[in-house]
Amino acid sequence: MRALLVWSSLVVVLGVVAVLGLSIGRGELSGQNGAVFLELRAWRIAAAALAGAALGMGGVLMQGLFRNPLASPDLLGTTAFALLGGQIVLVLVVLAGASLPMWLPAELLLPIGCLIGAAGALVGLLWLAERASGLTTVLVVGFLLAALGSSAGTLLTSLCRDQWELMRALQGLSLGGVDGTGPAQLALGAPLVLIAGMCAWGWGRALDVLLSGETEAAALGVDVALVRRWALIWTATLTAAAVALGGAAVFVGLIVPHVMRNLVGVTHRRLIPASALGGAVFLVACDNLARALPTTGELPLGVVTGLIGAPLFIVVLLRSRQELA
Amino acid sequence: MSDEAKSSMNDGVPLEPQASANTGQPQPSALTANTPVQAEAGGRRDASPALVISGLTIRHGERVVLEDVSLSAAMGQVTALIGPNGAGKSTLINAALGLLPCDHGSVHLLGQDLLRLDRRARARLVGYVPQRSRLSAPLPVREVVALGRYALGGSFGGVLGATRRAVDEALAAVDATPLAERRFNELSAGEAQRVLVARALAGGARTLLLDEPTAALDIGHALSLLALLRRLAANGCTVLVALHQLDEVRRVADHAVLLHHGRVATSGAPETVMTSPQLTAAFGVETDPAGALAFRLSTPRSSPVEPR
Repeated sequence: MRALLVWSSLVVVLGVVAVLGLSIGRGELSGQNGAVFLELRAWRIAAAALAGAALGMGGVLMQGLFRNPLASPDLLGTTAFALLGGQIVLVLVVLAGASLPMWLPAELLLPIGCLIGAAGALVGLLWLAERASGLTTVLVVGFLLAALGSSAGTLLTSLCRDQWELMRALQGLSLGGVDGTGPAQLALGAPLVLIAGMCAWGWGRALDVLLSGETEAAALGVDVALVRRWALIWTATLTAAAVALGGAAVFVGLIVPHVMRNLVGVTHRRLIPASALGGAVFLVACDNLARALPTTGELPLGVVTGLIGAPLFIVVLLRSRQELA
Repeated sequence: MSDEAKSSMNDGVPLEPQASANTGQPQPSALTANTPVQAEAGGRRDASPALVISGLTIRHGERVVLEDVSLSAAMGQVTALIGPNGAGKSTLINAALGLLPCDHGSVHLLGQDLLRLDRRARARLVGYVPQRSRLSAPLPVREVVALGRYALGGSFGGVLGATRRAVDEALAAVDATPLAERRFNELSAGEAQRVLVARALAGGARTLLLDEPTAALDIGHALSLLALLRRLAANGCTVLVALHQLDEVRRVADHAVLLHHGRVATSGAPETVMTSPQLTAAFGVETDPAGALAFRLSTPRSSPVEPR
């Protein structure tokens, strides 16, 4: 009952921030190009909502996968490697130039690169997690993976310094942003997020049982290896879709599940939809803020989520010390 | 320990009627059977074996962890698995649950080959209680117990009527009904163990494998959990429990199996095993008739669950 109330409240809030988002930004809606502005804003709002939902659900899955409320795609390097994968694809596309076939647009290749990067990082992390003696080791390895991925991304960006357009595209991806997201990216991203989200929800009961650890879960009838494999696939898919849609928006996957857990509890069948909606609300609101703030250029989305997310997370952390203990 | 003392461990709330795990219809089951509560171990020693482990051998690389281990646990009895640290008790329990690959041997439950069943079918037959659960999430007790029904394929957790009934009955069977709405991570160790027994029962399993369930408990909660095991056995459950404290074995067990260096050193009535030379060889101790500890619950606890 409570979960239903939270879900429906979040839908209403999402509607409100989306409508608010339509009226925010440069360019007069009443002017000659009003309809164009409105359409562009609608696309970016949809992209922010989808990316936020993907990051929210990705966070829940990773926290379930590692049985640790501090796990999230961006903290443990999944996002960094998804970005790196995306950036490598962008560079390859530019290098291929005219020799790239027409039926293979960059919009299609970007999510594939992100997916390979995210899956690679997750497979490596899980491989280490199965051999590491404690969760602290896993977290530290995750931090190192995140640092490695982002350093490699920065290296790639600096190597492309003589190609101004490419360098800006690479930087844009790593700073996060949904401006310029069009129907092509959405048509690809939306099914990915929806399918991965629904499948993750389908595994919800098994993920609940897995909260008791592998031995207990296996004794209760869960095929632990299978559930982990699929949870990994859905997490990688969600992270890749989020990065392809909105670049790296940090902290969403960490903070949204935390807040939602306080509202609907830890049961995955309630938590996954709540985190999807919560993530969508958070990212659309952050994007609104990025456009509303009186800065010379638009603030990158990742900067806004970082500025809001980090302090907010510290507050949540202090309030839920018991949960982490 | 005297038979009266063992018998006194059966005091407590009678078990509630149990619903069928599959249909939710009340039907006679092990827990409902009108078995008179008699705990005298001697009266049940001829019970037929329900869980039969034969010739079990497990190697980790070159190291032999279990070698040709054969034992059986009878329905309606508590069978204690004892042995020094590293003797292979936990490995044996995990192997019987089908969680470890076995090099040789078989595990049969009432004629069914457990190791050949798929994991869900096996989970419906055998419940497992660890020394201490790794579950640390703030999940309500009711939902923790409902997780025990995962193998039944019910997708909607505690929502469906049958699940709700089964959870209520499992909680009642372990005297943990007052805990239903509390969060699992806020329970005391003793309360948490009761809830884990309820989780093992909720899926319909009538065979329980417990891996040192009292190791983290103080003496009061340990005795109360042992009393619960005796009551479940008296009502028809098959209980195989690894125990660390030899004193507990004498209190609770109808039958004891001593593991040493991965082999069965001896087995039989607890009194016989406790005074056997094999026990002295395994632990380097012997029973001291004058100095034996003999605690018991001071009053039969109507409910071992403390009010909040």
